[in-house]
Amino acid sequence: MRSKPPTTLASALHRIGLNKLLLHMILIVVSTVTAAPYFWALSTSLKLRRDVFTPVPQWIPSNPTFQNYLDLFYMAPFGLFLLNTIIVVSGILIVQLVTAPLAAYVFSRLRFPGSGFLFGLFLVQMMMPIHAVVVPNYLTMNALGLLDTRLAMMLPFWASGYAVFLLRQAFRQVPRDFEDAAVIDGCSGLRFLWHVLLPLAKPTVIAFSLISVVTHWNDFLWPLIVTDSPAVRTLTIGLAMFVQQESGADWPVLMAGTVFVTLPLLVLFLVYQRRFIESFMFAGLKG
Amino acid sequence: MRTAKGNLSPYLYLIPSLVFLVAFTYYPIFSSVYISLHEWNLFTREPVFIGLENYAILFGDTLFWRVARNTLVYVVGTIPLTMVMALVMAILLNERLGWMRNVYRVAAFYPTMIPMAAAAMLWVWLLNPGIGLINHYLMQLGLPRIEWLYNMDWALPAIMLTAIWKNFGYFMLIYLAGLQNMPGELYEAADLEGANFFQKVRHITLPLLAPTTVFVVVVGIITSFNVFDLVHLMTQGGPGNRTNVIVYYIYQNAFRFSDYGMGSALTVVFVVMILIVILVLMRFLERRTHYEV
Amino acid sequence: MLNGRRLRNLVRSLLVVVAVVGLLASQASAQGERLVRLTFYYPVGVAGPLARVVDGMVQEFNAEHPFIEVVPVYSGDYDPTMMKVQTAVRGGNPPDIAVVEISEFPSLLAMDAIVPLDDYIAQHPGYIEAFFPAFLDNSQFEGQIWGIPFQRSTPVLYWNKAAFAEVGLDPESPPTTWAELADYAQRLTVRSGTEVSRWGVTISGGWNDWLFEAFVRQSGGQLIDFHGREIKFNSPEAVEALGFWVELMQGLKVGPPHSTWASTPPDFVAGRTAMLYHSTGIMTFLKSSADFPFGAAFMPANETYGAAVGGGNFFIFEGIPQENKDAAWTFIHWITSPEKASYWSAASGYVAVRADAYELAEMQDLVTEHPEYLVARDQLAYGHGKMMAPAYQRVREILKSALDDAQAGLVSPQVALDRAQEEMERTLRSWIQGR
Repeated sequence: MRSKPPTTLASALHRIGLNKLLLHMILIVVSTVTAAPYFWALSTSLKLRRDVFTPVPQWIPSNPTFQNYLDLFYMAPFGLFLLNTIIVVSGILIVQLVTAPLAAYVFSRLRFPGSGFLFGLFLVQMMMPIHAVVVPNYLTMNALGLLDTRLAMMLPFWASGYAVFLLRQAFRQVPRDFEDAAVIDGCSGLRFLWHVLLPLAKPTVIAFSLISVVTHWNDFLWPLIVTDSPAVRTLTIGLAMFVQQESGADWPVLMAGTVFVTLPLLVLFLVYQRRFIESFMFAGLKG
Repeated sequence: MRTAKGNLSPYLYLIPSLVFLVAFTYYPIFSSVYISLHEWNLFTREPVFIGLENYAILFGDTLFWRVARNTLVYVVGTIPLTMVMALVMAILLNERLGWMRNVYRVAAFYPTMIPMAAAAMLWVWLLNPGIGLINHYLMQLGLPRIEWLYNMDWALPAIMLTAIWKNFGYFMLIYLAGLQNMPGELYEAADLEGANFFQKVRHITLPLLAPTTVFVVVVGIITSFNVFDLVHLMTQGGPGNRTNVIVYYIYQNAFRFSDYGMGSALTVVFVVMILIVILVLMRFLERRTHYEV
Repeated sequence: MLNGRRLRNLVRSLLVVVAVVGLLASQASAQGERLVRLTFYYPVGVAGPLARVVDGMVQEFNAEHPFIEVVPVYSGDYDPTMMKVQTAVRGGNPPDIAVVEISEFPSLLAMDAIVPLDDYIAQHPGYIEAFFPAFLDNSQFEGQIWGIPFQRSTPVLYWNKAAFAEVGLDPESPPTTWAELADYAQRLTVRSGTEVSRWGVTISGGWNDWLFEAFVRQSGGQLIDFHGREIKFNSPEAVEALGFWVELMQGLKVGPPHSTWASTPPDFVAGRTAMLYHSTGIMTFLKSSADFPFGAAFMPANETYGAAVGGGNFFIFEGIPQENKDAAWTFIHWITSPEKASYWSAASGYVAVRADAYELAEMQDLVTEHPEYLVARDQLAYGHGKMMAPAYQRVREILKSALDDAQAGLVSPQVALDRAQEEMERTLRSWIQGR
């Protein structure tokens, strides 16, 4: 997959008398600038409150302490928020992985009246700005008596046009012969989907799963509107409410909260870098 | 493809998805339109039909036009910059860099992994006028200290800066994917013709990336029109409504003022706004791609 | 296969047993004790771990009252709390009790969301009279009392004594008039070129509408006459007050034109502003963070001293069972007793809602060591109820926009307030006409 143009940037720079060193220098500067905010937050989270007001910023805290993280859990149940986030994100993904393959299957291998129009419905959903439908969806949840539940945070996402789109592409790559052979063996319909298509589309499934998890981990407006009580609150809302509670007075603890909210995904990301990056790149490719 | 026969009807396979699609994407659109024609707020227990009056109030309200203006400034301001940064970084990262490549990629992409809410907090802290890093380094450079999020002129740019920081990594990856699928022969041919690096980028890379660019622009527009988290956490629409954007305004009307009628009317206007922008853009970009290739 | 089937059957039966037992158990507790469970929304409007304090008090109450269980739900600042209450009530799911910002009282009335408390009050002679009268202003309508004060405050002027000494001012004498304020602020502002490293006085943004009301009171005016249903945003007193602000911020440039409620206390602590208008509620935060001596004083007078009270009241909601309402009253009465009011005030820095709370041990100890905590209470002599109107969220936005624009020097105070007046009259048209 690495068919890229020849390294002529280096030779171009060489012509001007510079070399790859410059390239790396530029990239290092950019990387430092993008990484700096996070490190600064990390550093702040390990400081005592009075050390934050120093006129010269200290990147390495002079009196590092984990107290802020302890205070964080004392002030708000961030452990519970984490649990809720995991539950919601998993709940969304699991159902998406049921509804989407079913739909992608029929769109990829069957022709039937209205299939074009129906597929179009899924495509339009992909483009739909999600925030455009919050008000009616809120009223729907209210009517269903589902306000302030984790279920409410999951329901609107259980159909995913994006997943259907990606999986359809992947399923179409499976050759006819496979299917014909399978049918002869008595494996068709759902069983074909489950035993043949999905395993073959595993990279796509993984890619989509990662994207879905990251996207819904970061959901904000919708959970904000449909949930109230701390019992079902997720990390992002927990952070926002915590910000209000602390009202900018206690930056080290606020930064501890911010770091904590980002930590699970970031750790996963650093460990499975390749997977994550390939998933997101891959998704873009098919767009 | 074969036509369906035997087994389960294909429609049955679609029912699970369609139930949720209709309930949470399509029904709400019609519902919004319907509610927008009613007065339904704190004082009216049941919705009261008032025709297009919500829209009349909406379009006559100077605050709405300010909100629309803020939103457009935000979109127009963030997308080109994000795209350019993403493209440049992708081209740079496409070179042979050894293992450092991973480091650069992680550094550029990790902001996408953190919630908008967290990004907002990071930058509120950085932009703190008194003890924030940004002002500190600005002053070291001899530049005046800026009140950033409290300053009517700088608050929106500050939010835009945060958004660009957060999003460019994602688009960079998409461009990288596009670059890695470039056909090598075209470049070899150009080499034979004696083209230098910058000429190749201009005449081969960019035109071939046009479809990717279209994707980036469309996704970018939809994402930036949806901006809410940053505004809610960084400025709450202030100071003086200078950072109030359309989704935040919908939220204010529907949930703070408890005015579902107006909130729905704003939602309808919002969706129409996006559709127009996308249609116009696609028409524009399509024409340009035709010329180049 | 046989094993598998047996296993599955076993699991299925176990699940049924568990479900049945669970159902029976819940039935038992429902029928046996008649535990009344109350949902209680409350906000925290100032910095500090006050959610924990409230939770602690609630737990104490629950322990002392075995048949009532209050479930406290921290719901953010005042605005988000009102949002939650609004949406809950409109959705048919009201809480049992809530502490709501006092200016929201008319909105609650308009929604028919709350119940009048006179019958309950009559059961306790002398109870309601113990509250500071200014705090009851925002609870009364048409001869009935609808809310009980809980966390109340007034704005005060904080001043940095070390900074005063630095510029040759007497550190024990804060300004007492507007003229003195302007003068001192000019002496205290530290400038280098166009850069201001220390402001003379900061009038905190965020709730600048509340602070503005105080300045209007200091000029002898009033922004909203609630019982008379009259809006007076562009009265001469209001224009004078805003004019003074603009003079400070744009004319003399001794104060920042914009800030947030949360950013200004740290600014004061960091020495970025020598004087600060803010709630008495941040006193504890300042004491624990500032490394210089500071004082708290009445806000300087114009024609008179003046303040608008702030904070939240308890309300009991409609649409809940009668026994819930009764239990809610038990809770409210308990937590506003002199002992609890004293404890809450000492722990939070809010003004104790009743005068007799100040005679109890906790408050006595506190004010002996830190007399600043008495300033807000004493200022109550010049205190008035906070302005209120239906759809107050919108009212706030209209006023704040006008203030922000004028503070930034974009429009003159007269124009800003005229526009606000016009918008208010349009928005509250039906209320003004008496519907």
